[in-house]
Amino acid sequence: MIEPGAIDCHIHPTAAQGGPPAACADELLPFADRMGIALMGTSLGPTFWRRPTREQITADNDFNAELIARHPDRFFGYANLNPNDLRFSLDEIERRVADGPFVGLKLWVAMCCDHPNVDAICERAAELGAPILQHTFFRAGGNLPGESSPDDLAALAARQREVTFIAAHAGLNWERGIRAVLGQPNILVDTCGFDPELGYTEMAVAWLGAERVVYGSDATGRSFASQLAKVYGADIDDDAKALILHGNMRRVLDL
Amino acid sequence: MTDTAIIDCNANLGNWPFRRTGYNTPDALLERLARVDIDRAWVTLLDAVMLKNVGAANPWLAEMVAGYEQLMPVGSVNPTWPAWERDLAECVDLGFRGVRVNPNYHGWTLADPIFGELLAAAGEAGMFVEVALHMTDERHHHPLVMVPPVAVDGLLDACAAHPNVAIVLANVKNAPASQLARDADGELPGNLYFELSHFESVGGVQALAGELGVERILFGTHAPYYYPESSVLKVFEECDFSEPELAAITHQNAERLLASLQAGGSQP
Repeated sequence: MIEPGAIDCHIHPTAAQGGPPAACADELLPFADRMGIALMGTSLGPTFWRRPTREQITADNDFNAELIARHPDRFFGYANLNPNDLRFSLDEIERRVADGPFVGLKLWVAMCCDHPNVDAICERAAELGAPILQHTFFRAGGNLPGESSPDDLAALAARQREVTFIAAHAGLNWERGIRAVLGQPNILVDTCGFDPELGYTEMAVAWLGAERVVYGSDATGRSFASQLAKVYGADIDDDAKALILHGNMRRVLDL
Repeated sequence: MTDTAIIDCNANLGNWPFRRTGYNTPDALLERLARVDIDRAWVTLLDAVMLKNVGAANPWLAEMVAGYEQLMPVGSVNPTWPAWERDLAECVDLGFRGVRVNPNYHGWTLADPIFGELLAAAGEAGMFVEVALHMTDERHHHPLVMVPPVAVDGLLDACAAHPNVAIVLANVKNAPASQLARDADGELPGNLYFELSHFESVGGVQALAGELGVERILFGTHAPYYYPESSVLKVFEECDFSEPELAAITHQNAERLLASLQAGGSQP
């Protein structure tokens, strides 16, 4: 069932907790190899900070930079930012993306993405051709402070049409999330970070087209396997599966 | 995919009220499971969870699976309703080998005395009891029906008080499974089993098998609510189990559980 060459657009360096990047890679790569994962997009850090300080941002991005330096053929990076600190965010984009080795940006729950600070970040991302991996939830009972919904991302994407966004988790409540991003062709949805609920990928492909769906796992909290099941198990054709597993991310990353 | 026989100890028929699920008839479910080389399954009726009169689901399920020897029905009981013993007895009459409970949907906890009463009655009837800790991700529940997961507090005491009743935790996630292993301090009761469809994290099934003991792990998919490929890929591809371990997880543990059932109490 396993096809080699998949690109996992969404992991976190949480393997070998407490260890250095080398240990994280050593623990993670054998599993990735078994599951046919050729390349992984890493972001955040060993610990998740909802409103990270400059020091925490720096530590997270340093950690991933070392991971990428050690295994440039296996990892690519999204620089972690806290848009509340716009000056530092813009400086970090220069340090991490303009100067490399990161290729994209990660925005988690520090600030809702429908905010002018995020527009300023997007404008530089557009100049650099850097995709933005944006966490999105429609959380039962209401989102966390600073947490973005697919509605928020759709509003941002309508203003920032030159940026490619990945709506991480497709809103979690994916039947609503897919609808929310339908009208913004510069938003893709990933498969990651929620239960392997049958029907997700079929709906995403039917509504958005296979070109707007990408495989991600949210490893190591999630398994590669449970999230790959959403692709391998979906009632979609093989061409669509190939786009989701690697073709679309090759386009996004210009590989 | 594999030459190992697989028993899916956690499949479902019928309808879940908040999502239209496909593959939810016996023929469709068996066809879907066969794609991943599963040809036997224990099945519950999804509709049972939200029925007020839960017991009405049991003859309904029996009728659905009649003639399908590959499907083993698991009944449903709400022990907070009057005369629940009659529902249990009907499950026996229908030939069911076990019953599922959904304490969170039915307003009770595993620390309540009613759980002990149910275990005692099930033991007398020679049935196993399956506790579903979740049905769907709480983070996207319907806003008018937000149901927290079942807490496992009290479970180890219940296991100890009814050592001859096999208890299966279905839809159990990593955290409560690990909590039980820690609470038991390496001595989990022999009558407690863990179904693996909700085990997560990279290599998580193997890590949890190490914590819980391979002999307690039951293969399950939660299909058709979940893609059955999830459990298959987790067990056969992502983990590196030995052939004896795979045999235990995929069918031998389930077969041993069923073989232990006898009226007056099972012998796990």
